[in-house]
Amino acid sequence: MSTPPKNVPFKNPGWAGNTGEFDLTEDQVRGDDFVGERPKHGGHASGAGTLPYMLAAKTPEAPLFEGEYKQRLEKILTRYPNKRAALLPALALAQEIRGHVSPESMDRVAEVLGLPAAYVRGVATFYTMYNKRPVGRHLVQVCTNISCNLCGAEEVLAAFLRYTDTELGETSEDGNFTVIEAECLAACGFPTCVQINSRYYENVTASEVPKIVEHLKSVELKTAGGD
Amino acid sequence: MAYPYVSDREARVISAHFGDPLHRRVDTYVQRGGYGALKKAFGMGPDAVIDLVKASGLRGRGGAGFPTGVKWSFMPKQPTKPHYLLCNADESEPGTFKDRELMRWDPHQLIEGCLIGAYAIRAKHVYIYCRGEFFEANQVLARAVEDAYAKGYAGKNVLGSGNDIDVTVHQGAGAYICGEETGLMNSLEGKRGLPRVKPPFPAAFGAFGQPTTINNVETLCAVPHIVTNGAEWYRQWGSEKSPGTKLFCVSGHVNKPGNYELPLGFPLADLIEDVCGGVRNGNPLKAVIPGGSSVPILDAQEAMACKLDYEGCVAVGTMLGCASVIVMDETTDIVKQVRRMVDFYAHESCGQCTPCREGSAWTAQIMRRIENGEGRLEDLDTLMDMTQQMVGTTICVLSDSVAAPVQSAIKKFRGEFLAKMPAAVLEGSMAGVA
Repeated sequence: MSTPPKNVPFKNPGWAGNTGEFDLTEDQVRGDDFVGERPKHGGHASGAGTLPYMLAAKTPEAPLFEGEYKQRLEKILTRYPNKRAALLPALALAQEIRGHVSPESMDRVAEVLGLPAAYVRGVATFYTMYNKRPVGRHLVQVCTNISCNLCGAEEVLAAFLRYTDTELGETSEDGNFTVIEAECLAACGFPTCVQINSRYYENVTASEVPKIVEHLKSVELKTAGGD
Repeated sequence: MAYPYVSDREARVISAHFGDPLHRRVDTYVQRGGYGALKKAFGMGPDAVIDLVKASGLRGRGGAGFPTGVKWSFMPKQPTKPHYLLCNADESEPGTFKDRELMRWDPHQLIEGCLIGAYAIRAKHVYIYCRGEFFEANQVLARAVEDAYAKGYAGKNVLGSGNDIDVTVHQGAGAYICGEETGLMNSLEGKRGLPRVKPPFPAAFGAFGQPTTINNVETLCAVPHIVTNGAEWYRQWGSEKSPGTKLFCVSGHVNKPGNYELPLGFPLADLIEDVCGGVRNGNPLKAVIPGGSSVPILDAQEAMACKLDYEGCVAVGTMLGCASVIVMDETTDIVKQVRRMVDFYAHESCGQCTPCREGSAWTAQIMRRIENGEGRLEDLDTLMDMTQQMVGTTICVLSDSVAAPVQSAIKKFRGEFLAKMPAAVLEGSMAGVA
């Protein structure tokens, strides 16, 4: 187990920070090759609760927990001693399909899990990752906590607001972008860290922001992460 | 560690395969000796594993530094109820970025550690509570767990040993407080992540009301290596009380930020000057936070004298925490950065305890007032007084985490606070003195 690995010259492969210094491609590093297209029914139950997708078409009215999603919920339920413990994964499924967790979604989750509706509201509103209202196609979360802040995070945030033409916490007119400030994303050594949908962009500088925004406008969302 | 920077002073044990995408495959991992420690542990018996980890002196890497073997030995030896092992992968302390890398680059190392830990404490189910924002780590880990099941390293009758150990990846949903162990248990149970009053301790009444042990990712990652190589081998690094290696997450104003795995007791001065290539632009150092945002700030002089182990940090009046070294050069606005940290805690306070809920919000407001040049002279005394009342008065230590940076900053960088005060305030105070 202590075989020394060969030295891979490598900088953290945030898409934006990829300045051509690396021998590895992004695909090799995060890649489809490894994670693969995980099935919508969630694969093995042990990992069914993790979110493999953020769907391109977020349909706020889509039915919850039907078809493959029903299968996935059932798998999730097998992993916990009671139904209540599946509440967080169930809310995550709802958000995956609908893009946000509306009061109606919360009620539906309550119904499926046999929990009081008010209880589910209480839990859902405790956690920041459940969007309580619709967000843009790209949810841009810029870390401005201390380590990133020391390295210019506020300029990166300002640049995102400028180039997406939106205000903090608001969604741009074309529905493409919602830009918010995030608390520490645990990528402090690669500042500034920006989470866009489910993908981390590391080593982002303010001057790279226009390039990222252009890139995001051009991509079609298909799987987690956007590109 | 080959990425993003390497230093020849590192002792790479758990980070040996960072930057090597192949290592995430179960085949490669097994080829390189992976899951050998699990087989060995099954041959030793649970109590022998606990004794070995005790002998190695491994201490919890999540911040508190509690001896892992001792923690495991609190679990009942004759299970009458289901036991659980929880892996705390809800890494969100500002300045810390080691667990995500451990999960992204070496998921099987963590899974093997979890399985050994579960076997030692006689648990049949492991939950890896992974931070919700870590979509990538979550997927890598989920995929690795699926592979482990397929190869018979997890699930029913693991490796034909007769032990059933299930592993589940549980994705969090964005709350710093869920990194607190009892908050994590509540969150896993599908509740708001409110910390619980202790006692009862988790070993008696934990997740789902059953005996539970909670370990950090980095702690569990070290376990397979200790089982394979023995306690003495692990003790070749570090000191008597703080043995072994530790990942140091260095961020801020250094030339080469990143994760460095070093023996405990490593001098902070060497870490900054040698390993990390010095402060950016050759600027003079102003301050260092050695253990994540919850610990007292060191000024440059203290930092240069600090040895990075649990005792060494206490000796200079701070804590090792999770070894997240945040380096600030002379251009740093200390008042602003402390205010940013307090904002964070005000945002993340769960709101159960009044001193924390009110204290963090008011501290943030007063800090903001000072930062905006509208401070009053009594503000500093108010901050000291108020934060003092936030220490030890709440269920968990989030409240104490607000006090540490604020109090230490006011003590060590008082001049910077005063420099932000309006001239009239300062003149008034001078008049008073005269």
